[in-house]
Amino acid sequence: MAHDDEKDQDGGPGSGLGGKKLDRRDVLLGLSTVPALGLFGEAWRKQRQYDQAQKEAAAEDAPPPPADLEEINVALLGSGAQGQVLLDSMLRIPGLRFRAVCDIWTEYNQKRAVRILKKYKFDVNGYEDHREMLDKEKDLDAVVIATPDFWHAPHTVDCLEAGKHVYCEKEMSNTLEGAQRMVHAARETGKLLQIGHQRRSHPRYLHSYEKLLQEAQLLGRIVTVNGQWNRAVSPDLGWPERYTIPDARLKQYGFKSMPQFRNWRWYKGLGGGPIVDLGSHQIDIYNWFLGANPSHVIASGGLDYHDPATHEWYDTVMTVYEFETAKGPARAYYQTQTTNGSQGYYETFMGDQGTLVISESEAANSGSVYRDPNAPAWDEWVRRGYISAPKLQEQGQKDEDAVLDVRESVSPDEHRIPVVLRDPYHQPHLQNFFDAIRGTATLHCPPEVGYETAVTVLKVNEAIEAKERLSFRPEEFEV
Amino acid sequence: MKEGTLSRVQMVTVVALRVLIGWHFLYEGVSKLTADAWSAKGYLLQSRGPLAEVFRWMAADPERLATVDQLNMWGLTLIGLGLILGCFTRLASASGIVVILLFYLCNPPFVGYFYSIPAEGSYLIVNKNLVELAALAVILVTGSGRAAGLDRIIHGLLKKRDRPADS
Ligand SMILES: NC(=O)c1ccc[n+]([C@@H]2O[C@H](COP(=O)([O-])OP(=O)(O)OC[C@H]3O[C@@H](n4cnc5c(N)ncnc54)[C@H](O)[C@@H]3O)[C@@H](O)[C@H]2O)c1
Repeated sequence: MAHDDEKDQDGGPGSGLGGKKLDRRDVLLGLSTVPALGLFGEAWRKQRQYDQAQKEAAAEDAPPPPADLEEINVALLGSGAQGQVLLDSMLRIPGLRFRAVCDIWTEYNQKRAVRILKKYKFDVNGYEDHREMLDKEKDLDAVVIATPDFWHAPHTVDCLEAGKHVYCEKEMSNTLEGAQRMVHAARETGKLLQIGHQRRSHPRYLHSYEKLLQEAQLLGRIVTVNGQWNRAVSPDLGWPERYTIPDARLKQYGFKSMPQFRNWRWYKGLGGGPIVDLGSHQIDIYNWFLGANPSHVIASGGLDYHDPATHEWYDTVMTVYEFETAKGPARAYYQTQTTNGSQGYYETFMGDQGTLVISESEAANSGSVYRDPNAPAWDEWVRRGYISAPKLQEQGQKDEDAVLDVRESVSPDEHRIPVVLRDPYHQPHLQNFFDAIRGTATLHCPPEVGYETAVTVLKVNEAIEAKERLSFRPEEFEV
Repeated sequence: MKEGTLSRVQMVTVVALRVLIGWHFLYEGVSKLTADAWSAKGYLLQSRGPLAEVFRWMAADPERLATVDQLNMWGLTLIGLGLILGCFTRLASASGIVVILLFYLCNPPFVGYFYSIPAEGSYLIVNKNLVELAALAVILVTGSGRAAGLDRIIHGLLKKRDRPADS
């Protein structure tokens, strides 16, 4: 570059002629724009201070942790995508001391989690084998598990038996037999087991269930439900070549190859495909809000789009559950597909007096109720702040020339559900788990509840295979 | 353009322009560097236009993406410093042109294209990227670093050493 510059001009105006030695004027002009950098530095410092103040102000909204908060010693078992998400949430929860990270991908996922925790000044050890961790980390109080579904049962049972409380990600297990062992282990050891259906602790879902459905009975009798999780096509997960796990280790932990290790959710015996991966979150809400387990299920599904060489489970599933609720029969539709993300995910509960549309997302379908014109007035609930004042449905959008049929029902008013979650989605559920350990709360998703959901969801894959309507015996939901 | 033919006020104006563009680059760079986890992934995946495939390719592989992100963050930062300080001004402005051209081509406001990334203005073919690119071309050809900037000192020092090569 210096050479390039050599061909450059002979200085600016007034710089004199080439060949002249540097004089005072050259130095002054040469440095003349340096103060701009100083100004930049100052402006940047101000901006950083402002950002910092904003962050602190946001943090102040949370009640300060009590001074005598007893520290809970925590380990993370499985620090993949979801382990990382849980870790981010836990780092915002006061009173936790991280002691260990266990992950078989020692050179990548484990390393990353350990590095992050060290940055937060936690003295953590990394382990490849969870039994070694349980042997060596005697002080652990709780283990948070986010390994692939087929590892949930062995990991959870071992941790419970070692005397640890466990937060285990959904799906509780990929087999009912595994899920049963988890329930038994929790009962026998008397340790807490929370299953990671995080909507169970989401303030908007709790508000909707307790206030809108139970207390105000806004929907009347719920007769139909529908919900979906639509996801756009996404390429198979890859991995940085230099962090390839040696074959022997993959085999040791039940994986055939790196692609299978990364995309385990698509493989039989490892995960359950999208209906289990995505559907279980929402079908869990069906059972909860309807206050019942289903009596029957029909389902259609297939591997309609993805490559069967790398995908074993159904990429597209449509299913209908039949319920006998306390108020009468109800039918619930659910679909999941992985070829088009339109409309994303949500659940809709439709009663004879109103409709509830809800989702975990703050961005779309975050939560509204629509009053049916024949329902009693909701003014009382608006006044109490349970729901917002109605937003009138847009009239202007209609095409002037379109002819409206008199038989068309009047569109109902929309009331927003005034509950926003400003924390990461999983934080309240983790908080509930740690509160329960301290004895100040009861678990929102104990193993018995997780089990009912597992029975409900795993049956869909069975129904697809059987190509017929399957029934649930009430005792199937019991362990 | 023959340098040295700009009047004093013209040169002051060009230097001011250079410092302002440098400021913009520098802040774009350091704010990405200091963000918790910035990545161009979303922007690249949104790419439309004739080169969309190329930009998506950049984002497709995690390692490639990491390199692209690093180049982008450090590139912006160094170009910003170079422009503000008038240091290697020609290299800085030429690199700036390349970088902005890439931004422009990644999501060009061509007829009939629209984006889900909200834009803060209305553009048809010409957007602020293109304007900044043209402004950098002015910086490139006027060599303002020699007038006011570290290049003047660097140049002076080199001149001293290589006196015979001069004139
Ligand atoms: N609640 C939610 O919203 C949500 C979202 C995503 C995933 N999940 C659940 O979290 C779990 C993990 O999913 P993910 O997307 O993070 O998968 P992932 O493949 O990204 O991560 C799994 C991690 O577990 C490690 N692992 C595998 N076998 C192990 C073993 N025997 N011992 C120790 N570590 C082992 C892997 O190395 C990897 O780092 C799954 O059960 C999934 O259903 C829940």
